[in-house]
Amino acid sequence: MNKKMIARIVTRFVTMAGIAGLGIALNGAPASAQQEFGSPELIAAAKAEGKLVYYTANFAEVEQQVIKAFNKRFPEIKVEMVRAPGGQLITRVKTEAAAGKLIADVVDHSDRALMVDLIDMFQDYAPPNAADYNPDAQISPKLWPRATLVWSIAYNTELVKDPPKTWMDLTKPQYDKMTGQVFAQSGGTTWTRIMFERQVLGEDYWAKQASTHPILYPSGAPMADSLVRGEVAMGPLLYNAIYPKQKDGAPIKIFFPPEGAPVNPYATGIPKTAAHPNAAKLFLNWCLSKEGQTFMIQELGNLTSLKVAPVYPEGFDPKVVKVWLPKFDDYVKLHAAWVADWDKTFGYRQ
Amino acid sequence: MMAGLWVTLLLAILGFLVIYPLLTLLLGALTDTNPVVDGFSLRHLSITNFLAVLANPNVAEALFNTLIACGGGTLIAVVIGLAFSWIVVRTNTPFKGFIAAASILPLFAPPLVAGVAWTILGSPKTGLINTMFKWMNLDWRVDFYSLWGLVFVFGIYYAPYVYMFTSSALRNMDPSLEEAAEISGASAFATLFSVTFPLIMPAIVSGMLLSFIVMLGIYGIPAVLGAPTNIAVLTTYIFKLTNWSPPLYNTAAAVAIILMVVTGALVFLQQKVLSGRSYTTVAGKAYRPRNLDLGPWRWFTLGLGIVYLLVVVILPSLALIVAAFRKFMFIRDAASLFDMRQYSLMHFYSIFDNPLTMRSIYNAVEVGIITAVVGGTLAFAIGYTIHRTNVPGRRSIDLVSTLPVAIPGLVIGVAYLWAWIGIPGGLYGTIWILALAFIARFMPDTVKALSTSFLQIHRELEEAAWVCGKGMLGTIRTIVLPLARPGVIASMTLLFVLAIRELGSSLFLYTSNTMVMSVLLLDYYEGGNLGKTAAFSLVQTVLLGVLIGGANWLSRGAAQGSVARTG
Repeated sequence: MNKKMIARIVTRFVTMAGIAGLGIALNGAPASAQQEFGSPELIAAAKAEGKLVYYTANFAEVEQQVIKAFNKRFPEIKVEMVRAPGGQLITRVKTEAAAGKLIADVVDHSDRALMVDLIDMFQDYAPPNAADYNPDAQISPKLWPRATLVWSIAYNTELVKDPPKTWMDLTKPQYDKMTGQVFAQSGGTTWTRIMFERQVLGEDYWAKQASTHPILYPSGAPMADSLVRGEVAMGPLLYNAIYPKQKDGAPIKIFFPPEGAPVNPYATGIPKTAAHPNAAKLFLNWCLSKEGQTFMIQELGNLTSLKVAPVYPEGFDPKVVKVWLPKFDDYVKLHAAWVADWDKTFGYRQ
Repeated sequence: MMAGLWVTLLLAILGFLVIYPLLTLLLGALTDTNPVVDGFSLRHLSITNFLAVLANPNVAEALFNTLIACGGGTLIAVVIGLAFSWIVVRTNTPFKGFIAAASILPLFAPPLVAGVAWTILGSPKTGLINTMFKWMNLDWRVDFYSLWGLVFVFGIYYAPYVYMFTSSALRNMDPSLEEAAEISGASAFATLFSVTFPLIMPAIVSGMLLSFIVMLGIYGIPAVLGAPTNIAVLTTYIFKLTNWSPPLYNTAAAVAIILMVVTGALVFLQQKVLSGRSYTTVAGKAYRPRNLDLGPWRWFTLGLGIVYLLVVVILPSLALIVAAFRKFMFIRDAASLFDMRQYSLMHFYSIFDNPLTMRSIYNAVEVGIITAVVGGTLAFAIGYTIHRTNVPGRRSIDLVSTLPVAIPGLVIGVAYLWAWIGIPGGLYGTIWILALAFIARFMPDTVKALSTSFLQIHRELEEAAWVCGKGMLGTIRTIVLPLARPGVIASMTLLFVLAIRELGSSLFLYTSNTMVMSVLLLDYYEGGNLGKTAAFSLVQTVLLGVLIGGANWLSRGAAQGSVARTG
């Protein structure tokens, strides 16, 4: 990091502290409050660019809400989103970059292991509050945990009168053919969960769970929908996939099991080729700011990789729930073999 | 000289649209690299992917499921399509216009929408059909999460392909041939099977083959109905390969090439069957269309039309309407289904609150129009060259223009991305790359649909124009185009619908600016919101209905105008 950059970051911290001290409200604040998200020069340059192209592996609907919240703060900057499932997104980014046509100003991905190969493609970037982040959530100083997702267990209250209370409960024979599962190969978040199951709940956990004949889903979102409809009665789900439905009044209960809550931080960065680098920085600064993270926790059901969480999602008691973060080394090395094992155990065909 | 230039031009266009992407795909299947990222190199060539795919029992199972689902589906489609085209064109069934409309309505439904509608209706656990059976105290159960469910849904939704081919053939057929059979003492039924159907055999075979091949490439229906019970077909299998983390495109390309070989064999078989026979039924003689008097049976045929409309349009639409207006899809019993407090406009508010919704509609219509006009024109040029000229090289044109039929959309999307992203001039990121992909992908459908019209126009009509001193272009303008007009308009409409529905190849080619409806629909579906998916499906269906109804109305006016001029 060069001196200029350090100076800039220090200035930002000072400004931020000042703002926090004054206790200015988050919403509808005057222009000076915007400095929490970047220097006046950055903000002016971002507004001059006027837009950015945002590639994400997260669900489009969820990200639409993030963009909307960002636009409340910075209405002058238009965010154009391309959403694709993890594997397709990586292919697109690699292909575009190789052809010299990478359109993205921000790339946001759930599988940090897949992003490792692409690190050289990204420029140096750090948000103003960089020091507040847990370094374990990062695989490179260029990539930031913009979103941090957490697993929970959910059930349909109309169908389940004797609900599960722990991860181990999901293996009970009485829940035979009532559970759903997202299959292991679907991406970074699921990989984190199955790793947690094997490392924390026991080598035989998969086999026990497979014996209850779960229905396998390609992704958490359709499974959440099936849970609301009653196609399945219970199962592990990313909190942010099911929480909005509960909030809207669906017959759903969600809890964080006592054995632990697997967490998957995203890896998000700005490519060197970004055509709108300032708007991209401002967008990420906002997402990574306390305001952005608070929004994602409260409205979308995310966690955060900030060392001190500003708030917790509903039903998440940090004193009770043990957050579980995979070791990145394991995350990369065990992937192929363990996913193959999982497929075999669950009879999932490759 | 001119002919040589013309063939070279067509082959160059086809080379760009078909051969070049196919070669990238083949290269992808033969290596373990991304040709754009790692450069086009022939160093790592191996057939490992093919061997791995061939040895994989799951591929064999997916292939088996595919053949059963598409074979069974085609059988149902032929029975339905043929029956309705006969009812509409050849009988005095009342309200024929209504049956004709019903027969093509399923074309408007994107496969994903059809799949979603039938999971709402036919799920063994929560399906509305089962809920209603329970309410009526009937001990019946349906389960559409099965191979038979797939066959049934395929069959009813792809019958329009057979209908479109056979009805235009029947309409253009001189009924004097049938009259001759009847005068010779054959019963109406015997006439049907000994004269009518054999005469329109090219149309039947083309419709059958096309519907089979289209089913081969459908992702939405088996994805929704097959997933809960883990029934894989080749498309869902390929999608899985590309959707995994990390994705296995090279293996997917290998599976796709196997699929292409199967389809190629089918196309070859069709040409073998049809070659060397004459199927001209439109000649320079005047004839009057004739309707068979069914007597009281005409109410039975009307009943068939109503049942089809009920099963294919009304039930699924009701399911979508319930899902679109209901807050949550948990339906305890029939009473809860009619509980009006459960209904609201929230999903509609929510989709129109999303700025992408309007953008995607606008983009989809724009791509649809470009595809229909440019693709229709190109298909006309190709069809005419193949069927109406003797220029050398027309066989190769025929072959090359048929190739894309065999490639599933998802894989063709990757092939186009690989092939076209590097082209200077910035094709990537525009509406045009989508339109070009659709033109290439649906060329076989369009050329085949047009060919039937060409096959039926007797050469003597063109020869007459030549004798009168018209040139080639003049003949096309004054003779071929007016006679083939219903076929041309039908093909362009088909192309428009297919382009608006197309999902697989759009997935890799759209960018933030060029998001189209089908991609947004998949987003809603994958985002796990059945309510929004259903609401957006309804919007899309209504939009397609209005646009096509409008086009139909316009073309009817045009056709009548031309009849008036010539008559």
